[in-house]
This record gives sequence, structure tokens and C-alpha cells, in this order.
Amino acid sequence: MSHYGTGDAVQSDGSDTSSSSYGSAKAFGGSGAPVVSFENVSKHYGSLHAVDGLTLDLRPGETVALLGPNGAGKSTSLDMLLALRKPTSGQITMFGSDPYHAVKSGRVGAMLQSGGLMPEVTVLELVSLVTSLHPRPEPVELTLDRAGIGQFADQRVDRLSGGQTQRVRFALAICGKSELVVLDEPTTAMDVETRRLFWASMKEEVAEGRTLLFATHYLEEADQAADRILVINRGRLLADGTPAEIKARAGARRLSFRLDGANEQFLLGLPALVNVEVRHDLVQIQTSDSDATLYAVLDAGYRPHEIEVTGLGLEQAFLAITAEDDRTNGNAQTGDAQTGETN
Amino acid sequence: MRGILSLTRVEITRLRRNRRYLIFTVGFPVVLYLLLGKQVSALAEGVSFHAYYMVAMAMFGGFSGALTGNAIRISQERKDGWIRQLRLTPLPASGYVVSKILVSMATTVPSIVIVLLLGRFYGGVNLPVWQFLAIAVTIWFGATIFAALAVAIGYRYQPDQVQPIAVAVYFVFAILGGLLFPIGGGLQKVGELTPTYDAVKIATDVIANASVSAGLAIGLVVWLAIFVGLATLSVRATAENV
Repeated sequence: MSHYGTGDAVQSDGSDTSSSSYGSAKAFGGSGAPVVSFENVSKHYGSLHAVDGLTLDLRPGETVALLGPNGAGKSTSLDMLLALRKPTSGQITMFGSDPYHAVKSGRVGAMLQSGGLMPEVTVLELVSLVTSLHPRPEPVELTLDRAGIGQFADQRVDRLSGGQTQRVRFALAICGKSELVVLDEPTTAMDVETRRLFWASMKEEVAEGRTLLFATHYLEEADQAADRILVINRGRLLADGTPAEIKARAGARRLSFRLDGANEQFLLGLPALVNVEVRHDLVQIQTSDSDATLYAVLDAGYRPHEIEVTGLGLEQAFLAITAEDDRTNGNAQTGDAQTGETN
Repeated sequence: MRGILSLTRVEITRLRRNRRYLIFTVGFPVVLYLLLGKQVSALAEGVSFHAYYMVAMAMFGGFSGALTGNAIRISQERKDGWIRQLRLTPLPASGYVVSKILVSMATTVPSIVIVLLLGRFYGGVNLPVWQFLAIAVTIWFGATIFAALAVAIGYRYQPDQVQPIAVAVYFVFAILGGLLFPIGGGLQKVGELTPTYDAVKIATDVIANASVSAGLAIGLVVWLAIFVGLATLSVRATAENV
């Protein structure tokens, strides 16, 4: 299977050594070198571990959602990716170089919650300015159009509404031909219609082959827009997969029924079980395979009633994953977690 | 470099729209010169008071824009996240500061031109063109020094703190250096250490056709080095927190 070999390697038999030297290339599944890679990246502020040993790769053309509760380390991770902060340890590579040079080469467009706009100028003047800073600029008209800000292009930046300001920020992130677009909570302060338009234009961007990384707390957005979801909590990566995989991992379904005198030992031993709660005769089970779990209950001779099986949304999956992590690691780091929430 | 020039151009557009800025850098020195420029007939720093006050007022306006105006803007822009936004663009990290200094030099032009014209046609200060140019260059260099100080203050303090700090620092330099009125006595010894004094003295020596002492030029360079050092410390201290 070693079709990576050069002429020499193909000639030699038992080329274990030569194929292992290509081992790392194989990991990227043939979709090219990663756009971004975090290798064991940490950011510590005293005893607070804002980011704690984060390792991940973003591959070209992916749309990736970054999910995590407040203080999980999302903003710190994005700040480090965009060269605004330096990791305490570990290494971040972007387009084969360090984040600073990747940003300065115009290969990344970004929009952060904390990013502000220059006052006293018009929207058009501001977008034109940032466009002119790019080595490969998009036409200003196209950017105004994509961001949906053409109708107020002559208005002063300091006199815009929250939603309008957000769209101008977005325009600044896409005004160059960047290969990677990073958006932190892009649709905050947008109304429903604007949010829909936003994702429509984002799809155009992605169709051009750009890689998109966005953080959001609207989980349905992550579910609909992302190919891949990264769940982080307490500065660590908890889950990495497609929206369907994340839901499955959290226990994709909830099975509930009423059963008098249910044996707790028995319930805990059920197949595919993720979590179980018993209140009086009401049993609520989170399961990754509701059929198998239910059949096991029936096979054991129980005859529960009011059986209900419901699919879990991404939001419940997300809450289940982070809650499980907090239960497992919560006690050890209570002090840190409390500091983290104020972050 | 192209990026820095684009940013500088837009910054100048902004300042042109800012009336408060024009009042402080142009209006204030013009009014003071009209009020006081011809009231005194004594000599100051070896030249006529008309000429001395012309130099002092051109510097007063130019330096005030470079220091207080810039410091307040930098601090506000840092608080608003504009500096952070710029760091996400291909503009080099130093581009923002370099552009602020270029803007200071460009925006000193109105104070210089208007006050020097006033000196020439209202104050009757008749100088060869090269002397006017030498004065302008001195003011430009001085504005750069105060722009560096503005970076040091603006990056380190919040906007509400910057206003009193920058104004207080500025008036100390302006008074000790003799920008508001010539000073004498014991204070003059202290005043001679300031960059404002060095700049005034270089200009008045040029007007008096005296040779400019190297000590004055060295003084300006030393102050520039001190303020650039402070500015670098401020920028580094806030590098992760802009």
C-alpha cells in the first residue's frame, strides 16, 4: 500500500522505514496539509489554565464550529491563532508559518467580538482602507454587497446600530482573498433575517474553497453550517467530529418510561447507556442506541409503560458533553472554573 | 509602506473633520498671538518678541496636537478595539504607531503655516525663506518627539486618565520651555533641560543668525530616544491586551 514511495522506495522490499517517514502525510487523509495546527498549546494566567494542552488541525475547505461555554478558552484560542496573544507553551502553525506572518501575508481574514472600528469615517472609507491593506484585495463593491452594507456605505461608522456594526466588522474580515476566515460570534446582534443573509453569503465564501472557523453560541447555526464541530471546555478539546457524531457521542437519544421498582444496578448495566436518572417511577435514559437499550429492558422481563424515545439536539448533546466533563474534573479545579467564568 | 500611507491618509481625513482638534492646534495659538504678539517690544532669547512669540505659538499648537490630541485618540482607539482590529489585517504591527507619527507631522503643517504667516504679515517678522523652512523643520522634529510621548501615554492609560495626564505633562513642558512666555530666574535652568526649550532656542538662534549649538540638537535627539523607549515599553506592556 506504499504508493507514497519515490523510485528508490518502490524498488526496495519491506520498505517499512521509508513508508513510516510518510506517515504524517497520511494522517491528513489526502486533503492537503492542514491550514492550521495547534500542537499541545497552553495559555496560563497564573494558576488559571485558560487553554490547556489543545491539539487540533483544520483542513483546507472545512467549515468548523468552535463550541464551548463562557470561559472555556474559545476567545483565548482564537486570540493565539491570530497572533494577538502568545501561547505559554506549545506551537501554532498556520499555512506552514507562525500566526503573525500568516496574518500579515493576508491569508487570514478575521472578525473578533473585541475588534473595534475607526470612528469619524464613513463605512465606505473604512472598508476601502482595510481593503487597501490587503495584498490580494477583493473589489470593494463585492465586499459591500456580500456583507449587505451597501445601503449605508456613506454613513459614519460611529452612528451605526449594533447589527450594522457587526456587518461592517464582517466586511473587514472578507475584504481580502483570504484562504482562512475566522469569525468570533459573527451573528451576535443580528436579527433573524440578517442572520439568514449572513449565512447565505458565508456559503458563497466557502464555496470558493475558503476554510472557515467560527465560534458561536447559537447551536443550531453550528448544526446547520458546520462540517465539523470542536467542543472545548476548561481549555481542553472534549469532542471533535461532525454534528451527527457529536450528537451520537453525547448519547443521541433520550429514552424515558415509567417502571415501578426499577433496579438501579440493572439500569446502570444497560447497553449503549450514557446517563440515567430515576425519579420515583420515571426513568430517563440517555443512550447512543435507543433500540438496543430498550430491547435489553424488555428482554429482562420488565414491562415499562409510557415509553418515549426522543432525539437529542446538538444543544443537549453539547450540554451533556460539557456537564459530564465538569462532573469528572469539576472538583479538582473548582477554583479555576470560577475564575474562568468571569473571563 | 503602502498600507501605512493609506492609513495615514484616512487619519488626516478624520482630523480635518474634527473641529476640536483644529481649535486647539490652530485657533488657540492664533488667538494668543493676536492678543500678545505685538504687546511686548523687548527682546526674548536674543530676537524680537514678535519673532520669538511666532516661533513659540507655532510650536505650542503643533506640539499640543502631537501630544494631547494623539494620546487621547490612541487610548480611545485601544479601548474601542480598533488597534486590535488593525492587528488582524496585513498592516505590519508597527504600522499604526508609524502612521500616528506621520499624521502628527502632517497636521503640524496648518499650525506652522498659519502662525508663521501671521508672524510675517501681522507681526512684521521679515525672515529669509530658508529661516522659515528651518523653523518648520525644527517644529516637525519636535512634533515627532511629542508623538512618541503620546504613544507612551496613550498605550498605557485609559482615555479618562489620559486627558489630564497629557495636558498636565504638556503644560509643564510648554511653560518650562518658554512656549507661553519667556521664563527667567532659577526656573530657566530647569527649563533649559526640556525639548521645548531646545526647539525654541534652535529656532531663535536661526532667526538671530547665530550658530546653533550642537548641544541643543543633541538634547532633542536624547528626548526623542527617551520617549521612544517609553513608548516601546508601553506598547510591549499592553501587547496581549490591546
